[in-house]
Amino acid sequence: MGIEGKRVSDTELPGGPPGAWALEARGLGKRYRRGWALRDCSFRLPAGRICGLVGPNGAGKTTLLKLAAQQATATEGRLATFGVPAADSAALPRFAYLGQDKPLFKRFTVAETLRMGRELNPRWDGAEAERIVRAGDIPLDARIGTLSGGQHTRVAFALAFGKRPELLLLDEPMADLDPVARDEMSGLLMAEATERGTTVLMSSHVLTDLEDMCDHLLVVARGRLRLAGDVDTLVPAHTLVTGLAEDGRAPAALDAHTVIETRVQGRQFHALVRPAGELSDDWETAEPSMEEVLLAHLRAPDAPALLTGASDPDAEGNSAA
Amino acid sequence: MSAVLTETPGPGAGHAPRRRLPRGLAWLVLTQHRTLTYLYLAVLVLGPLWILYQHHRMAGQIDAGISGADARMQLAGNSGFDQLAAGLTSLPVLIAVFAAAPLLAGDREHGTVQLVTTQSVTRGRWVAAKVLWCLGLTGVAGIVLSVLFTWSWRSHREYVMTSWLDGQIFDNTGPVFPALCLFLAAAGMTVGLLVKRQLAAMGITFVFCFAVQIVWAEVRDRFAATRTVSFPIDSGEPAVLDNAYEVDRWIGTADGKLFGWGHCAEPTEAASDACIKQNGIVNDVVEYLGYDQMGALQWTGAGILLAGAALLTAFTVWRVARTPL
Repeated sequence: MGIEGKRVSDTELPGGPPGAWALEARGLGKRYRRGWALRDCSFRLPAGRICGLVGPNGAGKTTLLKLAAQQATATEGRLATFGVPAADSAALPRFAYLGQDKPLFKRFTVAETLRMGRELNPRWDGAEAERIVRAGDIPLDARIGTLSGGQHTRVAFALAFGKRPELLLLDEPMADLDPVARDEMSGLLMAEATERGTTVLMSSHVLTDLEDMCDHLLVVARGRLRLAGDVDTLVPAHTLVTGLAEDGRAPAALDAHTVIETRVQGRQFHALVRPAGELSDDWETAEPSMEEVLLAHLRAPDAPALLTGASDPDAEGNSAA
Repeated sequence: MSAVLTETPGPGAGHAPRRRLPRGLAWLVLTQHRTLTYLYLAVLVLGPLWILYQHHRMAGQIDAGISGADARMQLAGNSGFDQLAAGLTSLPVLIAVFAAAPLLAGDREHGTVQLVTTQSVTRGRWVAAKVLWCLGLTGVAGIVLSVLFTWSWRSHREYVMTSWLDGQIFDNTGPVFPALCLFLAAAGMTVGLLVKRQLAAMGITFVFCFAVQIVWAEVRDRFAATRTVSFPIDSGEPAVLDNAYEVDRWIGTADGKLFGWGHCAEPTEAASDACIKQNGIVNDVVEYLGYDQMGALQWTGAGILLAGAALLTAFTVWRVARTPL
């Protein structure tokens, strides 16, 4: 799986119809007893994207996914799925959700699990679900409790894709899989999503997975949104800068730009910046990889937020329909 | 099971698949709780058989020529009847602990609540199906067993030493038995909703059932007004006290002044007689609940239990439908 899996070019959809946004959040917040898990979160996820949801542990990723999957209710703000309020029952058939544990009924057979999908979903595609299960050589009469981790995940994916969702919400879907199963599931996910044009919002700590699979990014840290936009615009908005350190510190001229992270090694400084203009010719510059941009933002959660193009619901020309 | 799957045609198939009953959430709830469903059905078959067997056995003993006081003495230690009554008494607790308490707690603990409520059914419909399954089977089992046990007990009432107001009879007959089953089941479901861990929910439900039994034993004779009868000392009890449940007893004067039953309990009969004469005591006075009041007592008690069950069930359904678990 590589870059050929990316289906959507950097097409922005400013002010598009409500259905153009798989998810649209405005001032979204969720407070638990221990405090705010997510706050003041406004973004748009255009339909058809495969979006990586990145952030340190406890950053609010699972909370955002749960809000979209009706597993939690927002304390403040609004969240809409394809223009329908996320908490509305009309949104239920349009998304599928796989939580971290991917719970299934352990005493059900695989066939019974798929029948459950058929019984509870009006748009159920039994042939598709069965095809995904059979491709993994999983016997239909096997009990869920006897399956390996990879097989369990495959059945959970079959249930999710059988629902024919327009939005697939995945919370660290590959976390408990061995490398072979991980590769297999990544391939399955990309193939199914590409074939159907399903929007995917997937949290993961594995940055290489995200680089291979995602064409859109949401980065959250400390309960707030830090980055949102297409990879093709977010990554080029950053520049890696290397130059001579002055008195063991990064040069003051760097402050003219938005500095995400600086490090000084010996006589040299390395920085990731969002240039606000021309960078000094004294410095060496390079375009960072997506992994470098993400790592820098994860290490510096207080860096200024950046929402590019249509991802920013408050940007000029992007007002909600 | 593969036959089930092949019923579903691919997209664009020209005809709707033939679906077997049950469907939808009913299928899910019955499949998820199939062991308990079979146990309910076993109770519905074996319970009546046990009652009929015990009824037949008792009838045989009575028909064997034992009559009057001898029969009462013979049947007083009727362990079969006691075992049956004890079995019925324990059934509401067993249902509450093993069927109702894990109903929601199990799904919460294993995360399957998340699985079901992210399919295309609302939480409200899901919890309604679960509650309907549990209370439906509980209600049917309660009514069937109560009708049969009530019939059996009434047929042989004069040979059963246990008072009709004793829990063994009062709680297992008429409307009280199904009401008690439903109330404890509703309580178990509610505990399972509030306590995420299945085992903890079962333990708390058991303790709750125990507490309810203690409180219930204290209050079950207060659901109807007691009656009082006065009759001359040493004249023997009037017929109205036959089968009545005695709440209290006094001795009293002709003008209605009452003394405690032991007021004239003196060491010698002469001293007692002197006390009686001195205080002008002429009557025995008994406060009682008549057997004819059993219906009123049972329906009032059952009404309270059913109202409690309805409140707990409404809270459970409302809570699940309103906010994610």
